[in-house]
Amino acid sequence: MAGKVVITGMGIVSSLGYDLETFWRNLEAGKSGVKKISLFDASTCATRIAAEVPQDFEEFSRTLVKKRAAGQMTRVTRMCVVAAKQAVALSGLDFEKEDKSRCAVIMGVVNTGNSSVEKDTSPQNTVFKSMTNSMPAWISLEYQLLGPNFAINTACASSAYAIATGMQMIKNNMVDIVIAGGADSIINPEEINGFNALYALSVANDPPEAASRPFTASRDGFVIGEGAGVLILESEEHAMKRNALVHCELAGYALTSEGYNIMAPMKDGTGMAATIEKAIENAGIAKSEVGYINAHGTSTELNDRYETMAIKRVFGEQAYLIPVSSSKSMIGHTIGAAGAIEGIITILSLKNNTLTPTINYSDPDPELDLDYVPNVSRNKTIEVALSNSFGFGGHNATLVFRKYPGN
Amino acid sequence: MAKITENTRTEVREIVLAFFAEECEADKSQIKDNTSIIKDLDGDSLMFLELIEIFKKKYNLDIELKTIGKYAVKHPVETIGQLIEMQMLIIELENRLLELEK
Repeated sequence: MAGKVVITGMGIVSSLGYDLETFWRNLEAGKSGVKKISLFDASTCATRIAAEVPQDFEEFSRTLVKKRAAGQMTRVTRMCVVAAKQAVALSGLDFEKEDKSRCAVIMGVVNTGNSSVEKDTSPQNTVFKSMTNSMPAWISLEYQLLGPNFAINTACASSAYAIATGMQMIKNNMVDIVIAGGADSIINPEEINGFNALYALSVANDPPEAASRPFTASRDGFVIGEGAGVLILESEEHAMKRNALVHCELAGYALTSEGYNIMAPMKDGTGMAATIEKAIENAGIAKSEVGYINAHGTSTELNDRYETMAIKRVFGEQAYLIPVSSSKSMIGHTIGAAGAIEGIITILSLKNNTLTPTINYSDPDPELDLDYVPNVSRNKTIEVALSNSFGFGGHNATLVFRKYPGN
Repeated sequence: MAKITENTRTEVREIVLAFFAEECEADKSQIKDNTSIIKDLDGDSLMFLELIEIFKKKYNLDIELKTIGKYAVKHPVETIGQLIEMQMLIIELENRLLELEK
């Protein structure tokens, strides 16, 4: 097994910005990206709010994606490619100097974005826009990479699975570099009506920015977000050889399934707890080292209850000392992109010694009694942080990130 | 079968150049007969199909894609000039294109 796996690049497209600095500044300020839906007329939907990527993203994307290729991509795929190009740029990688057969691309893809809100699709582009492998394919094409290149779909845990799979491929010495992450948008009438039929979405439409309320008593479902998050995973040895800036170590992970229910998490969070426990074991860390948990924290009744129970089950009394926050309170639930976007937030928290808040935490659920970093960000030096992702179908993932010495 | 005139040739050339200039964000005046579609313009094979659709509609052509495919396998198109020549043959011969092989 190879040595450590490190993160040398990150790229983001989200409702709170499409560059890392803006994104972080907004998170740190506790801003919400949730607004009234503008992508289509949602007036007949029970849910009429979402965390949309700013409209000027399209103009920005034209600086990074050629017109011809852009026309063959969905808006979501363009988000993915833009995030990947940002991540590669930050990493300082020059693929012309790399063994391209040892460079992989793995993307978490649940939806391609080829829905009724996708405009101007020519018949020749329909297939390309529907291919669930299109996101990793376009990234691979961009850099003419020759290593493994594929998509993973494990619902809301997809991009966390992509990152974990990438880590394992480096550990197994199959590749040196993995571009891993995901992108998603389900802001379209079909998906919103579908999730509304499951009573999974918040219908607290007014004011939009107050709708996502993880861990509160008044939480009434998740708010849909959209965006992309992409990370550059690299063997430490390879990163050192090229004198790369290391943002943190990806210390471990766990991937599990619950074998329980297509929608609901396993009762009392036992499946979630098993995942967190295995991730800690895989990373070879002590529980006492965990200084922060970026929760899956969807703002649904069951997730927030069971995730809280899971954290208590794993950490016991220590659970009350570990800050736990939900980024979804600000950027909504980005589905297939959530694991990567929230992984990036976790890394930035480690780097900046700042924990981003759970906003809209105005009425605590008396049964959920952990430290949810309410409403304002907090300065705290942490060495190890976890990021949880739990998907419909019982797909669970926990990633373990550790501060990198000297950074 | 369309009757080919000098005007047809001019029209086809203009459509092809405008198409590549637009799709590849290239300067139309810089696109020449010897310009490579892949190397110089970063184009792709799908553009050929899209142009065929444009010309099928414009000249009401009766030609099957498989006919063009069979011909193109033996006469690969790499440059703008070659592409224009093939489009002219398609317009002129339509489904009789493969008779050129006999």
